[in-house]
Amino acid sequence: MTIPVETAPGVRPYPPRMSAFTKPFWDGVAAGLFRTSQCDTCHKPSFPPKPVCPHCWSNAVSWIDLSGRGTLYSATTIHAGPAVFAADLPYRVGIVDLPEGLRLATRVLDDSALDEAVELVALIHDDGPLYGARRLSDHG
Amino acid sequence: MGENVVLLGGAATPVGKMQGIASDGTQQLEHEVLAKLVVEALEDAGLRKCDVGSMIFTLPRPYTQQKYFATFMANYMRLPCEGLVMEVLGNGMTPALTLQTAIDQVRLGRTKVALALGINFETGTSAPEHMMSSMRATGDVDFHVPFGFTPIAWYAMDAVRYMHEYNVTREEIAMVAVKNRRHAADNPIAQFRKPMTLDDVLAQRPIVEPLGLFEVPGRGDGAVCIVVASEDVARESGKPFVRVKGEGFYHEGAHQISEVPNDMIAFEAANIAGAKAYSNAGITPGDVDLAEIYAPCTIVEILAAEALGLCSRGQGAGQAASGETALGGRIPICTSGGLLSRGHPAYVTALYNYFELMEQLRGRAGARQVRNAELGLACTELGNYNAAMVHILEAVA
Repeated sequence: MTIPVETAPGVRPYPPRMSAFTKPFWDGVAAGLFRTSQCDTCHKPSFPPKPVCPHCWSNAVSWIDLSGRGTLYSATTIHAGPAVFAADLPYRVGIVDLPEGLRLATRVLDDSALDEAVELVALIHDDGPLYGARRLSDHG
Repeated sequence: MGENVVLLGGAATPVGKMQGIASDGTQQLEHEVLAKLVVEALEDAGLRKCDVGSMIFTLPRPYTQQKYFATFMANYMRLPCEGLVMEVLGNGMTPALTLQTAIDQVRLGRTKVALALGINFETGTSAPEHMMSSMRATGDVDFHVPFGFTPIAWYAMDAVRYMHEYNVTREEIAMVAVKNRRHAADNPIAQFRKPMTLDDVLAQRPIVEPLGLFEVPGRGDGAVCIVVASEDVARESGKPFVRVKGEGFYHEGAHQISEVPNDMIAFEAANIAGAKAYSNAGITPGDVDLAEIYAPCTIVEILAAEALGLCSRGQGAGQAASGETALGGRIPICTSGGLLSRGHPAYVTALYNYFELMEQLRGRAGARQVRNAELGLACTELGNYNAAMVHILEAVA
């Protein structure tokens, strides 16, 4: 299952660091795949991806592909932000629940409502990928 | 449990702008301000310098030039200590951890008298620059911060979810700010005391929707010193004091959000820490006469009050709007004016909350005095209430 990939202007205001472990995640986003780690022992997924399962503390984990869809749990529009995000103001952020039993936080790219179905979108900036959420498109 | 531990004395500066910049010519310096407070607090406790065996400091902000502040102060005050001298950091919970460490020092018998103290100077740094640091404390640096989350954005999302689930209006939530401003009007150390109406609150520019300027904390400097002692020392002093009757702590093992979807606005940590503190004190929520809740935004006071059993689930906003949590109401909350009006010098804020309970339980709160106040609750948190620490304090006649 792939997520839409779109180009985004400029560089990321506060780029995430990448480790040898999380590189497959960010490479996946850039390629339209939304992946995470899943424990080989208790089989629970985790997000963000982690080399140690936070549930059972096993260090045997594998990559799985997520659907990249979910529902919007909450959201807010930020009007006063840190210095590096000044050019983005105002911007909307939110919390998305995924059907795989995970919750994450990201940018919200539109005015989608709480409990509405949303999809994750890969946003390819000049210096690397980020992702956001928006209302699930009909053709999805 | 060993000997009873009490809060015997305290002193606090008014919350406001104290930190200067080099171009001011002369500036207030942190150690000068705090040294005077220590002397004042010990006088309030009826104790002498040689009685103090431990000093537990809140970590100063990174904008404080003097590093290793605790050991610097031990020198500045020329105070040899046989218990402990250290600095504590835990975001908004910093002062609570400071107080708890001081309590533990006395309980463990390391000393008979410990100071829980600190100073927070930050107003020399602008909000957008300050947020460059605070955003890294309230989010995953690689998986939250790159999207632009700010500390209070998480609380705003609590508000949005709460309004969605319980059909609560923004006006009801905003009434918390009006109520707390009314309380602050009678608090001489409060930062914001000018009366304001619901219309004033609703007319402010949005900061993190739906919350506007008067529903989020202003920034301020402040300093507090609280004298923690064993009850036998307190009795010898002949001064009024308050007893530490119950304590509870819980960390839910999550940072801002739980990666496993949960009921984010149940504030589980406050619920569990509160239950532990009530049980430890042998009381129920209904026995509490007043509460100082660490609530940087209006919505946070509502959700914490619900989690602590002081208001009913989903009813906290309505109960605040109808006056149940105001002075004179069923359970007065934040009689100091709270973080929104008394002020929020974050790394010492909860020390101000304990100081307010001490004033109330010793009958010194003047026009904002809760009549016959015997049991006070303080609740402090970090993150999005991912961890909570609750103290029950008791007046000793």
